[in-house]
Amino acid sequence: MTTSSTATAPRRATGLGNRQQLQQLLAFGGLVVIFVFFSVASPYFLDWANVKGILLATAVTGIMALGATLVIATGGIDLSVGTGMTLCSVMTGVFLANLGLPLVVGVLGGLAIGALIGLLNGLNVAYLRLPPFIATLAMMMVAQGLSLVISGTKPIYFSDVPGFGQLAGGELLPGLPNAVLIFFVAAVLAGVTLSKTLTGRYALSIGSNEEATAISGVDVRRWKVVIYVVAGLFTGLAGVVMASRLNSAQPGLGLGYELEAIAAVVIGGTSLRGGKATILGTVIGALIMATLTNGLRIMSIPQEWQKVAVGIVIVLAVYADMLRRGKEA
Amino acid sequence: MNSSTPRRRLAAVAATASVTALVLALGACSSGSGGAAPGTGDKPYVALVSKGFQHQFWQAVKQGADDAAAELDVEVTFEGPETETEVEKQLTMLQTALDKSPDAIGYAALDSEASIPMMTDAQSRGIPVIAFDSGVDSDVPVTTVSTDNLAASAEAAKHMAELVGSGKIAIVGHDQTSQTGQQRVEGFTQYIAENAPDIEIVDTQYAAGDQLKSADAAKAIMQAHPDLKGIYGTNEGSAIGVVKAVQESGRAGELTVIGFDSGKAQTDAIRDGLMAGAITQDPIKMGYETVKAAVAVIDGEEVEPVVDSGFYWYDETNIDDEEIAAVLYE
Amino acid sequence: MTDGPALLRATGISKSFPGVRALDGVHLDLRPGEVLALVGENGAGKSTLLKLLSGIYQPDAGTMELGGAPMSPTGPRQANELGISVIHQEFHLMPDLTVAQNIFIGREPRRAGLLIRDDELERRATALFERLGIPLDPRQPVSRLSVAGQQMVEIAKALSFDARVLIMDEPTAALTETEVATLFRIVRDFVSPRTGVIYVSHRMEEIKEISDRITVLRDGRYVDTLPTATTATREVIAAMVGRRLETGVRPAPPGPGASDGGSERDSSGHDIVLAVRGLSTRALLKDVSFELRRGEILGFAGLMGAGRTEVARAIIGADRSTGVVEVNGRPVTVRSPADAVRHGIGYLSEDRKRYGLLLDQDVVRNVMLSSLRGMTRGGFVRDADGRRVVEEMVDRLSIRTPSVTQRTKNLSGGNQQKVVLAKWLVRDCDVLIVDEPTRGIDVGAKDEIYTLLTALAAQGKSIIVISSELPEVLRLADRIVVMCEGRVTGTLANADADQHQIMELATRFGADRSLVTTGDPE
Repeated sequence: MTTSSTATAPRRATGLGNRQQLQQLLAFGGLVVIFVFFSVASPYFLDWANVKGILLATAVTGIMALGATLVIATGGIDLSVGTGMTLCSVMTGVFLANLGLPLVVGVLGGLAIGALIGLLNGLNVAYLRLPPFIATLAMMMVAQGLSLVISGTKPIYFSDVPGFGQLAGGELLPGLPNAVLIFFVAAVLAGVTLSKTLTGRYALSIGSNEEATAISGVDVRRWKVVIYVVAGLFTGLAGVVMASRLNSAQPGLGLGYELEAIAAVVIGGTSLRGGKATILGTVIGALIMATLTNGLRIMSIPQEWQKVAVGIVIVLAVYADMLRRGKEA
Repeated sequence: MNSSTPRRRLAAVAATASVTALVLALGACSSGSGGAAPGTGDKPYVALVSKGFQHQFWQAVKQGADDAAAELDVEVTFEGPETETEVEKQLTMLQTALDKSPDAIGYAALDSEASIPMMTDAQSRGIPVIAFDSGVDSDVPVTTVSTDNLAASAEAAKHMAELVGSGKIAIVGHDQTSQTGQQRVEGFTQYIAENAPDIEIVDTQYAAGDQLKSADAAKAIMQAHPDLKGIYGTNEGSAIGVVKAVQESGRAGELTVIGFDSGKAQTDAIRDGLMAGAITQDPIKMGYETVKAAVAVIDGEEVEPVVDSGFYWYDETNIDDEEIAAVLYE
Repeated sequence: MTDGPALLRATGISKSFPGVRALDGVHLDLRPGEVLALVGENGAGKSTLLKLLSGIYQPDAGTMELGGAPMSPTGPRQANELGISVIHQEFHLMPDLTVAQNIFIGREPRRAGLLIRDDELERRATALFERLGIPLDPRQPVSRLSVAGQQMVEIAKALSFDARVLIMDEPTAALTETEVATLFRIVRDFVSPRTGVIYVSHRMEEIKEISDRITVLRDGRYVDTLPTATTATREVIAAMVGRRLETGVRPAPPGPGASDGGSERDSSGHDIVLAVRGLSTRALLKDVSFELRRGEILGFAGLMGAGRTEVARAIIGADRSTGVVEVNGRPVTVRSPADAVRHGIGYLSEDRKRYGLLLDQDVVRNVMLSSLRGMTRGGFVRDADGRRVVEEMVDRLSIRTPSVTQRTKNLSGGNQQKVVLAKWLVRDCDVLIVDEPTRGIDVGAKDEIYTLLTALAAQGKSIIVISSELPEVLRLADRIVVMCEGRVTGTLANADADQHQIMELATRFGADRSLVTTGDPE
C-alpha cells in the first residue's frame, strides 16, 4: 500500500504537526525577510525598544486572532471579534469602574462577556444554522451598538481602579510588557487547545469534513458552540488587555480590527476552508502585520501606502501557501 | 438532515432570542437615555448632523446645542456616525434629516465635497443650513460656526516653539481628508516654517485618531528619530496615543507633547506632566452658537457668514481656571 | 428465510423519499457466522437498506431485530453501540486529520479529561493495524493516503468497534488484488459464531469467493436469497436484471453517405463526428477509444464508478486527460468546457440542478446562457431576440412552462431537462453528451425525453447517452459502449445486446489491476 512516510520527528511540540511545520517555515521565512529588510532600510528598526513596540502592537490583534483561528479551523469565520472585544472592554469598565467590583471579578466578567458573545454566535451557527458569516456579522453590529449604548458613548476610565493599568502595562518579566506576556501565554493555551483538546480536534475535524465528523458520532452542533465560546474567551481577553493598555474602555474603537485578525490568521497559513489551522502561524501572521506597519512608519512611508503594502503581503502570503499545497484554490 | 426537528429548532430560536433580549435590556438599563421623537409639537425643529457621536467632543457640542434648545424653546436632534471616517454613513444621515423637513439643519461635514449635492437639495427645499465645526465648499450654508483651526493650530505651534526652542519635532495627525484635519496640520507647520527656523518637522503620520494606532505611529517616529524633541497630536485620540507612546517607551519628560481637544486622559496627562499642554476648542459654545444661528435664520434675522466658536490654550497652570474648566470635557 | 436463528433480521422494510419508493417490503436475514452478499443493479435499494440498518435513515414500515431483540437505531453512533459497524461506499474521513485521529474520532483517550493522549491513540491504532495486518502509519494525515489506503482506514475504523455485524458497501472498489486478499482475510478472521458480515458488491467472482448466501434486490423489492455454493453466476445476474420487456427499439440511424462531406467515414461508410482515441486520466480512465457517428445515439453502460461520466468530463475538458479527440476528422485541443462548446460539443450533466441550470433564473436566461456572445449588441444583451429564439425552442421541444419568464426551479424535472437541451440546441451543438437524461424524472416524462432524443438524432445530431438504467440504454442507443473500471470492455450493436451480455461486460474486472496511485503527491 502506501509507503509509510518515514515517521520521523514525532509531533510533540504545541500546535505543530509535521505538515504544519513547513507552513510555518514559510510564514516565518516571510517574517525574517521583512525583518531583515527593514533592519537594512532603517538604522532605527532593529532595536529592542522598537521590537517591544512591535510586540505591543501585535498583542491585542494577536489575541483576537488566536480565537479567530479556532473558528476558522471549523471552516467558519468570526467577524465579531473586533467590536466584540470593544464590548468586553466596555463591560470590564462597567464592572470595575462603574460598579466597583474587585479587580479579579471585573476581569473574569470581561472574559465572561466574551464567552457570552461566543455562545450566541455558536448557537446561531450550530442550531439556527445561520452561515457563520451572517451570524457573526450580526453580532459585530450588535456588539458595536451595545458598546455605545452601555457606555453612554463615553469612554470609561479606569483611573480609580488601582492596578488595572498594570495588568497590561506592567512588566512582570523586566523589559517585557505584560500585554505581550499575556499574548504569549494565550498563544500557548490556544496551541494546546487546538492540538491537544477535543475542542481543537473537533474544530479541525468539522472543518475537514463536517458530515463525516457527524457520522462518526461527534455531536457537531454542541462542539461548534463550545468552539465559538472558547474563541469568545480570547475576544474577552483581548478586550481586557485593550482596556488595560489604554486605561480606558473606548466604545468607538474596534471596527476593522476583525479584518486585521483574520488577515493575521490567513497569513499564518490557516485555511479559510477549514481543517488546517496553526496557532504558531497565526502568531507569526500577527507579527508580520505589525512589523510591516511599524517598519513602513519608521521609513516615513505615508499611511495610504502602508495599507497597499499590507494588502500585497496578504495576497503573496496566501498565494505562496496555495502554491506550496500544490492544488486547489 | 433529519437531525433537527422543527420543534427543537424553534426552541433554539427562542433561546437565542431571549438571551439577546436580555443583553439588550441590560444595555438599555445602564444607558438610561432616551430621545423623544422629532418633529412633534409646534416648536421649530433643528436637526443637527455632526461628524461623530460617541466622541466626547461631540457630546459637548450636543450639550451646548441642548442648552440653546432649552433656552430658545426649539426642538433639536443630534446624530452622527460612529467614526469620523464614515463619510457615506453621514451623508445618509443628512439625507434622512432633510427628509424630515426640519426648519433648519446644522451640519458638520466629514467630507465637504461629497455633501455638495445635498446642500443643493436642501436649498431647493428651502431648508436653511448652518455649517458647524468645519466649513462646506458651497454657498448654501448661511453661516459657519467653527473653531478657526488654522489659528488654533498656530497657537499650538507657538507653544511648541517656545517649549522646544530648536530641534526635531513630528506630528501625529488624525485625518488627512477633512478640512479640519488638514488645517490642524497646516496652521502648525506654517507657523513653524515662518517663526521657528531652528525647528524641523521631520515626519507627519496619520492614524485615524485611533489611540492604539496613534501610539504605534508615534513610537515608530520616535524610533526613526531618536533625537526627536516634541510631538504634536492633532485631536484627542492622536494626542492620547502620543502620550501612551512616550510613556511606554520610558521617555516621559524628555519629549514635549502638545495635544488638541480635551478628554479625561488628556487632562490627566497634563496634570501629570506627561503633556505640556493642549488647545481646546469650545465645543459647548459651538453647539450653542449653531442652534442660536439656526433660530435666528428661522426667524428671518441676518447672521454673520462666519461665527468663531473660539479656542483656548491650556496647560498645568490654567487647567482649573473657571473659564477653561467650563469647556473641557471628561 | 425463517430457518435458523438470525443474527440480524429485517422484515417488511419500506422506505420512501419524496417522489421515489426506494424500498418496498424488503427482507434480509443474516445468520451468525456467515457472510451474506447483497446484490442488485444500481438503484435496486442496497445503499438505502444499509443506511436503515446503520441508523442513518429510519424505515417507514417494517421491523429490524438484532440477536432476536428488536432494534431501531436512531443514529450511526447508536448503531455502533449496538454492535453494527458500517463501511460506507463513500468515505467518511477527515482528510486533514491523521489516520489514528480518524479511527478514534469521538473516542479520544484523554489525560485529566482534557488533554488528548495522541501517543495512546497512536499505540491503539498500531495495535489494531498489527491485529488486522494492515501496513498503515497511524501518524499519516489521511489526505496523503491513496484511495486504497483510505479504504483501509475505513475498514480499520469499523473494526475498532466491538462489532457483531459488519456491513461493507463495495469495499473493494478501490483495492488492488493484494489488498482484496488482505480484506478477505480480515473478513474471515472477523467471522465467528457470534458475528456476521453483510457484503455488498458488484463483483461476482468476489461474491463467489467470500459469501455464503446471496440476497438479491431489484427495483427496491426483495427477489430471492440464494446459496452461493450451488448457484451459477448467470442465475444471480438473471435474478438481478429480471425479465423486463423492452419496448420501442428505435429505428436504425441514417445509413452511409446520408450527410454532407467534410467529415471522416469509418470502414462501413458512416460519418464520424467525434472520435476518441486512447483517452486516459490519472485517476481512472485507461485507454478509452470509441467513435460517434452522425445521427446516432451511442449508449454508455457500466456500473457506478466505471468511468462513464469521467469520459464525458475528459472530452469536454473539465478534467485533465491524455489522448486524442477528433471532431469531424480533425484533432482538437479541448482545455475547458468553453473550448468544447466552440467545437460544438454540449454536455448535459447528471446533476442538472448543480451544473445544468440557474434555478433562480427564468427559462430565457437559462437557454441563452451559452449563446449570449452571439446575442449582444454593443455589449448589451438583446433580450428581445433571445426571447424569440427561446419561444421557438419551447415550442419545438414542447417545454411545458406557463411562460418563458418562469423560473426554472418551478418546472418539473422533465421540463428542466428540456431547458438544458434547448440551451445546447440554441448554441448549435452537433454533439450532445447526455448524462443520466432521466434521473429524477417521472415515468411519463421519461418517454417524452426518449422521443425527443430520438428525434434529435434523426435530425442529424449525434448523441452520447450515459445511463445507469440498462433498459434506457437498450431503448435509446444504436450502439452501446460498456465500461468497467475506467476501460472499455466492449462495444455492442443494439440488435446484438441484451442485459445479460452488458452486465457481464460491466463486471469484467481486469485481472491485471495495477496498484492504485497514491493520491496527493507533494
